[in-house]
Amino acid sequence: MPLFYPPKWCLMKIQEHVEIKFPSDMIYVGPIRAFIVRLAQRLGFQPLRIEDIELAADEVCNNAIEHGSGDHRACISILVSFNRTRFEILVRDSGTNNQKHWLRSGRLRDVRCSMSPESERGHGIYLVETLADEVEFKLNELGGTDVRMAFYLDTLSCPSSGITDTIHA
Amino acid sequence: MIPIPAENIAIRTQGDMSIIDVNGDLDGYAASDLRKELETLVGQKQYQLVVNLAKVNHINSTAVGALVAIAKQVRQHKGDVKICNLADSLKRTFDLIGASKVLEIYASEKEAVGAF
Repeated sequence: MPLFYPPKWCLMKIQEHVEIKFPSDMIYVGPIRAFIVRLAQRLGFQPLRIEDIELAADEVCNNAIEHGSGDHRACISILVSFNRTRFEILVRDSGTNNQKHWLRSGRLRDVRCSMSPESERGHGIYLVETLADEVEFKLNELGGTDVRMAFYLDTLSCPSSGITDTIHA
Repeated sequence: MIPIPAENIAIRTQGDMSIIDVNGDLDGYAASDLRKELETLVGQKQYQLVVNLAKVNHINSTAVGALVAIAKQVRQHKGDVKICNLADSLKRTFDLIGASKVLEIYASEKEAVGAF
């Protein structure tokens, strides 16, 4: 048992950031999800919304590992930021040697056009866009892709729901 | 990579039918193990598959996609993949993806088995 839990107001009054870096391997996604779920619980999200956050985080991490990293030695970075109204998760990959910027490769456009219940793959981006209050896809300076998604504790606090694709870094 | 045991997958066989019990979260890591197990069954000409998800708390699109892919394979041999004991939160993922339109989902294992 931890000796000290900071009071809830202390966590929520200011903007906090937690960064986690992990090798590009599916084996780490479960523990990352567990961390995000526990944090969302602490922040006061409702159980159904926590399931949305968990699934969206899972899908974005999978995409970063599968499409945005060369091998196990590559590093995926997750930056979680939160305050009293907003919970944001940024997942950053560094691209692969063969394919920098999977976003630029047209994958986003392709999956949006080709998605069907019969298709085996390509549902992750659709799920993230459906579950998060805000999603932004952006190229980064590492040659990879940043996916930033935000969830609001109270939907009335959500200034503008939407999806943004930024093809130029 | 550090070898860590995969999620728990147990298989029961009843004649031409196999019942696959999954225990744990079905994320990208576990989905690959589930797919391998199901492909092994298909290789053994087991085309009637019931996947019992009673002990699964989380599923992602990779795992759902694997179930859809195996269903396509076994349907070519007049078999099917039937899903049972799906928690509401998991059913929502199937619904969002549209997989509940292409996979048969039953409330209980008995109903899924009886549907073959």
